[in-house]
Amino acid sequence: MSDEEFVTDDTGNKIAKLPLAAALVALVGLGDAVYLTIHHYTGEKVPCSVTGGCEAVLTSAYAEIAGIPLAAFGAAAYFIAFSLAILAAFGNRLMWKVFGVVATLMAVFSVYLIYVQKFEIKEFCQYCLLSAATSMTLFLIALWSRFWRS
Amino acid sequence: MSNGKKSNNNGLPLIIIGLVLVVAVGGAWWLYNRNATTKPKANTNSAANTARTPAAINALGAQPPNMLGSANATVTVEEFADFQCPTCGVKHPMMKQLASFYGSRIKFIFRNYPLAIAAHDKAYEAAVAAESAGLQGRFWEMQNLLFTNQQVWSANPDYRKIWEGYASQIGLDVERFKSDMAGLNAKARVDADLQRGRALNVSSTPSVYINGMLLPFEQMTDEGMRAIIDGELQKAQSGGTQQSSGAPTEAKK
Repeated sequence: MSDEEFVTDDTGNKIAKLPLAAALVALVGLGDAVYLTIHHYTGEKVPCSVTGGCEAVLTSAYAEIAGIPLAAFGAAAYFIAFSLAILAAFGNRLMWKVFGVVATLMAVFSVYLIYVQKFEIKEFCQYCLLSAATSMTLFLIALWSRFWRS
Repeated sequence: MSNGKKSNNNGLPLIIIGLVLVVAVGGAWWLYNRNATTKPKANTNSAANTARTPAAINALGAQPPNMLGSANATVTVEEFADFQCPTCGVKHPMMKQLASFYGSRIKFIFRNYPLAIAAHDKAYEAAVAAESAGLQGRFWEMQNLLFTNQQVWSANPDYRKIWEGYASQIGLDVERFKSDMAGLNAKARVDADLQRGRALNVSSTPSVYINGMLLPFEQMTDEGMRAIIDGELQKAQSGGTQQSSGAPTEAKK
């Protein structure tokens, strides 16, 4: 993020655009993951209109690691990604590098989860696909700022 | 910005991060409570209790159901389970013990609810196997063998041979068992149970209903279930019949 474009807020703070965009995307992922985590604990059926496979996916053996819902790990990851992106947006370069690493790991895990849905459970869940989309976007933003902009 | 340190160290980023954390935790708390308060209502609506379940749902499920205890008992325990679900296997000895402990004081019903997921590729067939044994009057013997040996057959490509072994072990006519497995009668019973489960919105296994009230998973323990069954038995004794099985269940949770 050497030649970032900045937006300037009323108090004169310079905010880098790419990290800011990443932070907003991470917020979407965070909301999605929190929603799924809570549904996991209350055991309520998730409204599932687009793909129809939510129950199969969210009650599968893959939905938990050591008794903790996968969505909770997702929520934590998105919160970390958000925090790093915000710190980077306000000029902390080191945090932007860490963000790149975190986004890459999240994207890799998302690919694995899509594989699980496609080939193991053979059903898709739209909330999980949304999460995959947001983490891919984070990864692309990190990639963009690393290779194409500098 | 030039040296990689925060160029604006007025703490604004930290405030934003803190705000988001508060909103996320608060939102989670709100969602959790909203679901928790709507839940008992949903349960009483969709429950299997004869007093409160719509007649349409009561008509669903294999007839007659696989039942232990007494058909006239005031307390009904209904379990929806999948033979390949590890938790169902773990809970099986407890369910068995509870059914034998309460005997004719309760009506214990087992419903097949094989989940259609790849990890449970043999669950539907296993349910058909149990029902096929049931056609020869040995449902519970087969149910027990399937659960206790879950690990043995679950990952074995020769699982059918293993089940035929169980069939002969419990004294079934193995040839008839094989033809029943291929036939429609046993499948129809499994499908009927599945329909019932879907109508009740069963979303995971095992799911247990006690007098039509969905048992929270945390209470699916020996003490937890005994406490509720004893409570329902007492209510039935002290408060008469139908009236007691209606209103008080809502007060409990």
